[in-house]
Amino acid sequence: MTDQAQLLPGTLDLLILRAVSLGALHGYGILLRIQQISGGALLIEQGALYPGLFRLVRQGLLKANWGTSENNRRAKFYELTAAGRKRLREETDTWNRLATAIASALGTQPEEV
Amino acid sequence: MSIFSAIRSLASAFLQRGQVHREMEEELRSHIQHRADDLQRRGISRKEAERRARLEFGGFEKFREEAREALGGHFVETLFQDLRFSVRSLRRTPGLTIFVIVTLALGIGMVSGTFSMVDALIFRPYPVPHPSGIVTLVSTTHDSSFDDFSYREYLDLRDKTQSYAGVIANSEMKAVGFSADAASTPRVTGGMMVSGNYLHVLAVEPQLGRSFRLEEDQVPGRDAVVVLGPEFWRREFGSDPSVVGRHVRLNGVQFTVIGVAPEKFPGMQMFDRPDFYIPLAMAPVFSTDIQKNFFEDRDDRELRVSARLKPGATLQQAQNELAVLAKNLESEYPKANRGRGAAVHTQFEMRTRVDDANWKFTVIFVVLSLAVLLVACTNVAGLLLSRGRARAREIAIRLSIGAGRGRLIRLLMTESLILATLGGLGGIAIGYAFVEWFHTFDQIVLMTDLPLALPFRMDTRVLLASLALAMLSALLCGLAPALQSTRVDLVNGIKSAEVDVPGRKRMWGRNVLVVAQVSTSLMLLTAAFLMVRGFQRDLQVGTNFQKDHLLMTTFDPRLVQYNPAQTQAFYKLLTERLREAPGVQGDALMQNIPLGTDHFDGLAFVPDGLQLPRDRENFTSTMDTVDQGYFNTMAIPILGGRGFLQSDSAEAPRVAVVNEQFAKHYWPGQNAVGEHIRLDSRDGAVVEIVGVAETIKNENAADFPADFIYLPLAQHPIARLTLMVRSGGDPVQLVQTVKDAVRTLDPNLPMIDTRAYEEYYRNQAVESPKIAMKMVGAMGLVGLLMAVAGLYGLIAYNVSRRTHEIGIRMALGAGRSEVLRLVMGKGLVLVGIGTALGLAMGFAVERLMNSMLFDAGGVDALAYVVVVPTLFVVTMLAAYIPARRASRIAPTEALRYE
Repeated sequence: MTDQAQLLPGTLDLLILRAVSLGALHGYGILLRIQQISGGALLIEQGALYPGLFRLVRQGLLKANWGTSENNRRAKFYELTAAGRKRLREETDTWNRLATAIASALGTQPEEV
Repeated sequence: MSIFSAIRSLASAFLQRGQVHREMEEELRSHIQHRADDLQRRGISRKEAERRARLEFGGFEKFREEAREALGGHFVETLFQDLRFSVRSLRRTPGLTIFVIVTLALGIGMVSGTFSMVDALIFRPYPVPHPSGIVTLVSTTHDSSFDDFSYREYLDLRDKTQSYAGVIANSEMKAVGFSADAASTPRVTGGMMVSGNYLHVLAVEPQLGRSFRLEEDQVPGRDAVVVLGPEFWRREFGSDPSVVGRHVRLNGVQFTVIGVAPEKFPGMQMFDRPDFYIPLAMAPVFSTDIQKNFFEDRDDRELRVSARLKPGATLQQAQNELAVLAKNLESEYPKANRGRGAAVHTQFEMRTRVDDANWKFTVIFVVLSLAVLLVACTNVAGLLLSRGRARAREIAIRLSIGAGRGRLIRLLMTESLILATLGGLGGIAIGYAFVEWFHTFDQIVLMTDLPLALPFRMDTRVLLASLALAMLSALLCGLAPALQSTRVDLVNGIKSAEVDVPGRKRMWGRNVLVVAQVSTSLMLLTAAFLMVRGFQRDLQVGTNFQKDHLLMTTFDPRLVQYNPAQTQAFYKLLTERLREAPGVQGDALMQNIPLGTDHFDGLAFVPDGLQLPRDRENFTSTMDTVDQGYFNTMAIPILGGRGFLQSDSAEAPRVAVVNEQFAKHYWPGQNAVGEHIRLDSRDGAVVEIVGVAETIKNENAADFPADFIYLPLAQHPIARLTLMVRSGGDPVQLVQTVKDAVRTLDPNLPMIDTRAYEEYYRNQAVESPKIAMKMVGAMGLVGLLMAVAGLYGLIAYNVSRRTHEIGIRMALGAGRSEVLRLVMGKGLVLVGIGTALGLAMGFAVERLMNSMLFDAGGVDALAYVVVVPTLFVVTMLAAYIPARRASRIAPTEALRYE
């Protein structure tokens, strides 16, 4: 587990939006999807997912419906709303700008200054 | 997120809380099941897989709580949770809870009772549409800033100003004889003379009939029309709508009823409720002074002038305009208007003017009651603090398992909010009871025929103010304990309850507060006790005249335009008729009755043959004018000489009767009968003292014996006189006899304040002082309760703080009584200091009261013998309860968490 990174504050919402943007998922599915798309590099406490999910639903970025899972269990499936899709785009841009800026700052060599 | 969706989510979350939460839990469980499915697929047994899945999920409760919060509707829900929890935890300590509620209720009750007075006296707007536009115009001089205007001046104000939509004038009429028809005996009523535009400018629409027309207020004495007040219409005419157009008689003059003022307009005055309104032009009918010409004399200032500001006009504009007008009047009429200015005032300014007794009274009461509330809050804070201390461990545990500090403070604040709400409701009930209680005195305070009302009542504004105050006190007394008890050191908090060391200063403050409360309540209780005792003594001493079997009634023949000769003839005939009437055993006429509400006149005189001190020209004494029946009818013994006789007529030599006190004062050890005094000065008229009467109580039942002179009515004619008739049986049975006698003389002459004298005496001299005693006593009791609450809170706090220490002491062999002594010692010291201070203040108050009210009989030991031990026992009981709890502490319990 040592090679897994702790999430930065605020990034869980972004990851959830991204995971759901690839298709409707239930909570456990979202967790698996995040692990899958991050290559298993991110550590998410399983229970911590749900407060985030409910928050996004309340903000109108996700909508949820009960359905039946691949395991034939009742589960709640989440998908993006239009507002969620828009938010994901914005957040992705912001994140990319930030990441590039920080990466370039950290990658600067002494002679480049 | 839009506000709309926020509200919707909040609403749906709130409305479907149960279902939403069930779904949420199902979702979380579904997650764990899915995870378990995965694990099972890897070959782990189902049972083990589920266990692992639950572990991996993390703190289920914690996430469930967080998820709930994220769901929205959380605030409302936790509020309900907090409420439920608070109620439960408050019910666990019922004694303390009730005590806190009662303390708060008393504090808030004092304030809301006071507010109802403040509201009535200061803030309640005029009962007219758009009351804020109504201003009062006053005439000002060097001596008075609130003078009235004359009729001529009113016309100038009305016609030469631009700032107002209308300028109105009114003049109060006291004691007008009213009769519904010519056949019935007139009753005394009070009305209002108003300018023709009065109701119109105030925007008051009659509920029946019409208002005055402007031309009805133009020709003096022509239009005898009257608009009735709503209460009067109800009382006198049983709300009969056919009253419009009917004729009634005011002071014997026929008036036509043209309308009835609406129910919501009881009048512009605070206390007076005019029975009727008539135009100013009818003033001559009611004039009591034929010398004056109301319509012409610029210095006959009897009119109160008000105005309604034009929309857009400011008070400043009106003020400037008025100043110019006043200057012009001054130069135009230098004689009548010299040094006279004018000013405009709002309703608030008029009611809070410096010279107004109501305003002072109000300020004093507000300050007092707020002080009581503040003390109540401090005490409650102390009680809650001691409770918070007792719960320190519970709070520490809650904090350590993840409760946020803000959440805990909210919980504790919810508790104090519940307490404050209950206290507030109790306070409103107390305030209501106070107002009701006060209204039971109406009949005593306002013993008069005139339409008066005490306007104190609990209305919506007062209720809202009280509730707001309750919430404020919740903050005041809840926040400090909440903050303090959540700011604990977790490790020590769980281990023991020894979590903080309160600053010496704070304890000091609370000690002072307790001492102050003990001493103040002792002083007030002593004062109340002294008043009661002194008063009882006074009543035992008696008044030295016979109060029973007397009927009193007052006449003022000037009301029906009698001249002085007619007036004296009327009285002479009246007493002659009564003397022949059956059942009448005696009769007397007097200017003022003993122990009445009116003050006696003073008489300046110089005793003959007595050296005057150089710095004075004469002596003064209170006096009364009485007829020859007075001493007999009132059963006042004549100790020397004689009373007045028929022969003491206007033409006979002038005579006087003095009381024993007077005689002893100026002629000690000698016989005053036969001595002479001169009126006013050394050169004044000579009056022979023909008799000495026993000293009676005249001004007040609690009077010291005072000098008093009686002058004979025939030599000192007075128009307004009170008739006393002595009866064999019930004096009220003589009312008809007197009425008949008056009617044969003049059916239009009203009888004012007709009642049995004994009843009047009881109200004036016995019941009224009792009100003051009850109030002081009630305040003393409230003070005592506050002191008890304060002391209890303080000791309880100490006990909870020292639980640990007490446990060690007991483990080392200290006995219960020693612990009791240890804890009580502090209370004893505080009560001791408070008692000493209170005694000192009590003595001071007693001296003050003795000098003002009662026989200077020295120290009334009984008062202290009763009050001090009572106070001591009660306060020590307040200290004993927590102390006993301390002594019951099991050492094992107290030390367990070490």
